[in-house]
Amino acid sequence: MTPLSGYRPGRRGRGPGPAGEGFQPRLAVYAGGGSSHSWLWFVELAERLGLHQVAVLDHRQVAEGGLAGREALLVSGGDTFGMAEALGPAGARALEGFLRAGGLYLGSCAGAYLPLNSSKPPLDLFNWVPAKITNLCRDLPAARELAEKFCTAYGCSWVFHPVREAVELAGRGPGPWGRAGSFPAPLYGGPAMVVSGGCQELARYAGFTQRTRFLAEPELARRTLVGRAAVVRAGLGRGRLYLMGPHLEHPRFARANRLIAQTLRQELPAALGRQPAPPAAERLAGVAARRWLRDLQREVSNLRIVACNLEGHPARWRIGRKVYEPAKLRVYAEAAWPRLRRLERLPGLELPAGAAGLVEGWHELAGRARRLHAGLRAGHDMTAPAAELLAGLNRQTARLVETYFANLAGAAPQAAARPRPAARLGGMAR
Amino acid sequence: MEFLAADKVAVVDLASGQVSEDELSEELVAERIGGAGVTARLHQEHADGDPLVLGAGLFTGTLVPGASLGVLTGTSPLTGGLAHAPLTQYAGQELKYSGFDYLVFKGRAAEPSLLWVHDGIADVEPAGDLWGQDVWAAVRAVRQKMGDELIQVLGAGPAAERGSDLGQVMVNEWASGDRFGLGKALAAKNLKLIAVRGMGLLEIAEEEEMVERCLALLAEVKGGAWGGRQGQGALGQALGYDDYADWLAPAVHRSHSSFNTPFAYNTFLYLDADPGMKAEPDQDEPGVLLGDPGAAGALKGLGLSVEEAGRVILACAKEGLDAAAAARVCQAQGKTSAQDILAALPGLTGPVEGLEGPFSTWAPQGLAADRDAWLRRMAVCHVFGIDPIFGLLAPEISEEKLVGLAALGTGLEITQDTLDAVVADLLG
Repeated sequence: MTPLSGYRPGRRGRGPGPAGEGFQPRLAVYAGGGSSHSWLWFVELAERLGLHQVAVLDHRQVAEGGLAGREALLVSGGDTFGMAEALGPAGARALEGFLRAGGLYLGSCAGAYLPLNSSKPPLDLFNWVPAKITNLCRDLPAARELAEKFCTAYGCSWVFHPVREAVELAGRGPGPWGRAGSFPAPLYGGPAMVVSGGCQELARYAGFTQRTRFLAEPELARRTLVGRAAVVRAGLGRGRLYLMGPHLEHPRFARANRLIAQTLRQELPAALGRQPAPPAAERLAGVAARRWLRDLQREVSNLRIVACNLEGHPARWRIGRKVYEPAKLRVYAEAAWPRLRRLERLPGLELPAGAAGLVEGWHELAGRARRLHAGLRAGHDMTAPAAELLAGLNRQTARLVETYFANLAGAAPQAAARPRPAARLGGMAR
Repeated sequence: MEFLAADKVAVVDLASGQVSEDELSEELVAERIGGAGVTARLHQEHADGDPLVLGAGLFTGTLVPGASLGVLTGTSPLTGGLAHAPLTQYAGQELKYSGFDYLVFKGRAAEPSLLWVHDGIADVEPAGDLWGQDVWAAVRAVRQKMGDELIQVLGAGPAAERGSDLGQVMVNEWASGDRFGLGKALAAKNLKLIAVRGMGLLEIAEEEEMVERCLALLAEVKGGAWGGRQGQGALGQALGYDDYADWLAPAVHRSHSSFNTPFAYNTFLYLDADPGMKAEPDQDEPGVLLGDPGAAGALKGLGLSVEEAGRVILACAKEGLDAAAAARVCQAQGKTSAQDILAALPGLTGPVEGLEGPFSTWAPQGLAADRDAWLRRMAVCHVFGIDPIFGLLAPEISEEKLVGLAALGTGLEITQDTLDAVVADLLG
């Protein structure tokens, strides 16, 4: 099989280039309950690959048939329990139906834990992959740092995360994974696994890098991770699941990204030769398009400014089982902003159904962000408002990203091209 | 205009609240370079709306040493002629990254308003709640409303609102170099303030060479006569102010520079806390930023102590008054004690006399060889966006080097002839 086209320099370093003429799988990215901001990494990867048929689904949409017509579901990080609770029995049934009918599941971090066999409700709704995790213990070891990110309660035990940041993986097995050799990928709490019958190990933890941050003693980290499975493949009915402990979709890890690209191409041959579907949507042109875009930019910018201001704020919010910091707010804003700038180059705009209420939605979020800022400055506990704001950002960024992809799918290549290279000087927080 | 620019000019019709946008043409930059060169042209083009034009210099916000300057250009209510107010600290740099190169304010708003400029968007918003507030309160309120303490605020204080000739345009909580009453002109348009946040990007045509040259120039400046010197005391010494540094010394807390300006000529005086303290003070701001040697020098000349002078300058900052002019007007009225001056400030309206020319004497003429040399240097600094006081202190930042950097940065044919023509027009 011809591998995906070669890499080209990207804004964030060398990354995979377009996936080639006429490779347009119909992708879904999960951004529902329990998900953190990292689903945006799958979105960025899809965009780099030139894959424009992307739906961003929340838990309700998954449960209500949103996966129909989709060939792959990409689930990134967050709170696994939160995802399972949000999806619930209806979501689990929908997801299982999607897989048994031949769907492809790519999960990283929390998205990798979710389909692993578990006895704990509601995780037991998703018992599809018979692999065990090795980063599980009864007696929690001491955290060297980042205690808030070190562990998650799991019944009477603990899921613990001995390291963070880049680790070294070694590919195994047939196909692109076996040819991959060793490559780095970032680990932010994902599992190390031991496979059993029906599972195939595609990559294992091979060691650490200069960037690895040890939250546990290095010897314990080594025993827990090195030689254990980092990426596994399993089947369910006619479907396939790829579970990745580290975030191979992270935009700064080009070699890991390429494996995802090759996996998509290998697993979804029917998508080859397909052209992007023209979006069926309301169309705005001329002044109306510019005005709509400007109104949306105004609100995103207002939020972006507050998010930038709060980036270094020491507040921490425990939301569900995860701890979030204010810097996460800016991730959404910075995902939204450049995409709006790129839409400026189009002569008109396609507004899919999800675009309705975008301007009002971001206006509300900007107001929430400003109130959050005021509350933090006043020294108040802002956990509840922060949770609402982050959930809203997940929703509204999903709608914005879908609108963006709908326009890319219908745009001439030159109009959809990435903007000019990053400038040399920029305004910033001081 | 692709390089060193956001490629956008906003024309704000204050009467209707409508904002229209034009591209910044390469032809205009090739002819007028930037800063006051362009603001003066835009002022002429929009003369029917009695405009104020806000802009940044060609290099503002870049690595060119001293490139911190923003410029507000308008018809001075004091001289009746075209005047350029120098805006230092971080206002110019923030404007440069705000998504606009220039903003033209025409007409008069029907109600007190503010302009919120961010990410290439300029919106006129009501500001009735800010009208009448002192400068500090207004700055705090707008930053709180928008959720960001890094927002740069150019505004008018109560003095400008009541039509005082001494009403200058302020940079955040502190004085600007405006000697021309452009704060009064701003308030006359019912525009209380302009809030700016810049998170944009700039492209450079020949970035590597330009960066190299800027770093070399910085090294040259640091090795020059002013390398390692700092504060208002050093500046006063250069101006021949006897015992100025000694007079300041009891209240000096620290020196402070504008964006990328190697000579930190501003001085923070502590009035309500120990100037020797290194820790964060309990008060929001226990002192005053001194950036105008004319103001402090005039108050010293009246016999005030540094603490008394600091309190007068602080009160002027809150009122939005030009402290140097306030000292002169009070002296003319026979008010020479700190108590009398402080009592007079809220009602001080002028007149301010003796002003001439388009450039502010906030950047002291005494730092130049003669008036002609001073005028030319002012014009050059206001075109390229170089802090004018720093420009007077750093002969290493020569016109030849600036012109060379302009060509590198923009990719346009900008020559000494181009600069000569712009300077001649500005001084015309």
